[in-house]
Amino acid sequence: MSATFPTRSAVAATAALALLALTACAPATSGPAAAGSGEPVDGGTLVYLEHQAHTTLYPPSAGFYPNGGIVNNVFDRLVWQDPESLELKPWIATDWEVNEDATEYTFDLRDGVTFSDGTPLDAEVVAKNFDLYGLGDPERGLTVSEAINNYERSEVVDADTVTFHFSAPAPGFLQATSTNNSALLSADTLDFTLEQFAPGNSAEVIGSGPFTITDEEIGSALTLTARDDYDWAPPDRAHQGRAHLDAVQIQVTPEDSVRVGALLSGQADYIRYVEAQDEAQVDAAGFAVYAPQTGGVNNHLSLRPRGQILSDIRVRQALVAGIDRQEVVDTIYSERYPLATSILSSSAQGYLDTSDAFGYDPEGAAALLEEAGWIEGAHGIREKDGTQLTLVVNESAPQPRSFEALTLISQQLKKIGVDLKILKADAGSAAEAVRDVEQVQVYHSMVARADLDVIKSQFFSQNRNALLNLDYDDGTIGDPRLEELLQAVASEADPDQRIVESQQAQRYLADQAYVVPLFEEPQVYGAAERVHGVTFESVARPSFYEIWLAD
Amino acid sequence: MRYLARRTGQAAIVLLAAFTGAFLLLQALPGDAIMIKYENPELGLSPQQIADVRERFGVDTPLPVQYVHTLLGFAGGDFGYSLQTGTPVRQLLAEAVPHTLALGGIALVVAVLLAGLIAFGSSLPRLRWLRDLLRSVPPLVVSIPTFWLGIMLVQVVSFQLGWVSVIAPGPIEGLILPVITLAVPLSAPLAQILVRSIDDVAAQPFVAVVRARGATPAWILGRNVAKNAILPTLTMAGLLLGDLIGGAVLTETVFGRPGIGRITEQAVGQQDIPVLLAVVVLAAASFVVVNLAVDLLYPVLDPRLAARAREGVPA
Repeated sequence: MSATFPTRSAVAATAALALLALTACAPATSGPAAAGSGEPVDGGTLVYLEHQAHTTLYPPSAGFYPNGGIVNNVFDRLVWQDPESLELKPWIATDWEVNEDATEYTFDLRDGVTFSDGTPLDAEVVAKNFDLYGLGDPERGLTVSEAINNYERSEVVDADTVTFHFSAPAPGFLQATSTNNSALLSADTLDFTLEQFAPGNSAEVIGSGPFTITDEEIGSALTLTARDDYDWAPPDRAHQGRAHLDAVQIQVTPEDSVRVGALLSGQADYIRYVEAQDEAQVDAAGFAVYAPQTGGVNNHLSLRPRGQILSDIRVRQALVAGIDRQEVVDTIYSERYPLATSILSSSAQGYLDTSDAFGYDPEGAAALLEEAGWIEGAHGIREKDGTQLTLVVNESAPQPRSFEALTLISQQLKKIGVDLKILKADAGSAAEAVRDVEQVQVYHSMVARADLDVIKSQFFSQNRNALLNLDYDDGTIGDPRLEELLQAVASEADPDQRIVESQQAQRYLADQAYVVPLFEEPQVYGAAERVHGVTFESVARPSFYEIWLAD
Repeated sequence: MRYLARRTGQAAIVLLAAFTGAFLLLQALPGDAIMIKYENPELGLSPQQIADVRERFGVDTPLPVQYVHTLLGFAGGDFGYSLQTGTPVRQLLAEAVPHTLALGGIALVVAVLLAGLIAFGSSLPRLRWLRDLLRSVPPLVVSIPTFWLGIMLVQVVSFQLGWVSVIAPGPIEGLILPVITLAVPLSAPLAQILVRSIDDVAAQPFVAVVRARGATPAWILGRNVAKNAILPTLTMAGLLLGDLIGGAVLTETVFGRPGIGRITEQAVGQQDIPVLLAVVVLAAASFVVVNLAVDLLYPVLDPRLAARAREGVPA
């Protein structure tokens, strides 16, 4: 969001830094500086270890990180989002036009782009892509993309021009076309059912990206092979033409110690999900650790205001003041998990520092609870009219070290007389419990998306509804003001005004003590020294396109 | 022949009971897989969109209808689709079973060999020190957790010594460590049973008679004791199938190997009911088949049982 910072010079600067590091004979550095040194070499197979198996290649449902590593490398998108500046740049679309109220988007398409089955990527097929992603097809089990709002229809103007029409302003659409959720698929693939997008059929899913899926062992391995004729990378990327690598071998290795051990022993080149407690081991062995930010709604606790206990703002404020967020970050995580200063990541568009609302003040917290009528009872837990001040928080399995962090927070809250219980349940029980405000009052989650809409995705009633502002049973809205603020972010056509709206929403969430932001969540990867050219898209999914192997 | 028919009929009834039990238990779990997948806030779908999808998957049809539908599907070899990923369950199983069979089969053979080595080694009376040492092995080994053994093998043999590769290994190479991981804990109870039976049989009067006629200890062990001591061990081997399946879940996860264990582990986490149901029925089926095989082998090994089986008397 900061003004234009030329990408090429950024890459050059990084390369220069890396060279400096090398000539100084420093041990392999951590972070992106290790990438991009020397002359790229073509060829070789990258062995990449995933933590979990992928679940689907249907782009609107492919947000799960194990899917992301595949989708980001096998499919292209209309628009490229610069991961540094978050600016939107040409890719398959060479140019675009948006009407004043953001209800009409027209894209000019690049010539000569083909899918790996040989069919052309033209206006017709682009229209077909977004008709599916914008409208969904419940008959085939295919859902609407969360990132596309108010979609009405497509219009093929000519072979390389396509227009999309929206029933209401859709200012987030342009960024949405740059995300994994809007990956472009061939016409045949778009006729697939959900079952055909499933593991086991992955090699049949056709895109136009730098790699194609050539081999699959369900749930355990996937081979990506480079396309020799690939020549339509985003013009702003440092590398053009075919990928340097010949192939990428993706191996699912669920056990953390095996993933890290395989990297350190040279059996793997590049691994995803290095846990915070393993980082030191990888650092110490001289391997590169990459921790790109997911840059959306921070890892946080939602204090759901429609529950009996938390409907009192003083209780929510007391919880905010009773949690020592710094201690959580210092104890459970590493320096690659920066303390959050707003509900949005500091690298997110429209970010507003609201850290003043999240200070640690246990005495203040105790005073607020006293004032709200919660008096110290048996075993140090406060009581009011015979009820104990007991709250439940869900363990969020996909978040790093969720249980450990919540355990520490629970200990902190005990000091101010609050009993925080952690719900550690199977997927079914958890899915049901988090939809009931009397079962889970405190909800632990985060969302990655590099657009202003992300705050609406998380809290709006018709999306993730993290605060349960919409009651699923009776359909009522608890806080209409919050709904308005979020709706404004997603429907305001003027980009500057959207930032204002986002900042109002951030301020409101902080002032109402609806959220306790914990940290800015990275995706942590480890790579061997021979791996160069490591890059990520805007929410930290790996790109293999520029990677080359030195030996 | 009647013995065979009766045993097979019993096996079919056990299978149906396993299917029904698993079906009901899985239905009783809170939530359902559609809910876990589509109502998961991470997809950000509106209540209306979720309702559309639920209708498509027919989640809300009455239980008896679902039961009959699923049972008929199973009878025809159609196990439905994984609700989590959409992959046909039949395809999941077809790809996983050979991997698990190879791992489990070889591990069982290795376990039996190990157990035999320990038991017979410890029964040769000349080497008292060896005998005591070997007899102390099974109780020690039985307490090693499979998971820990796997991790230690990977760390030491693969990562430290670099003898075998764990990531994308060759077909044989990929089996070495998983087989050891699975076979060692399995061999311990087998060895214990075998040692005990050898001792029991060796104390029988007929052994004293054979010994009195001048047979060497090795002759007695090989010709007289072993044959009689193997029966209880065989029964135990059949019962150990459960341990084998449980061990495969851990082993396949540690080594990132494809197989039934991995599928089960993932399906349990996501409450993927069609997959779980198929795995339960498959496990029950293999249990039934193995024990049927053991039962049918009994008369072959023990002529007295063969006579009874011919007469149709319960063995």
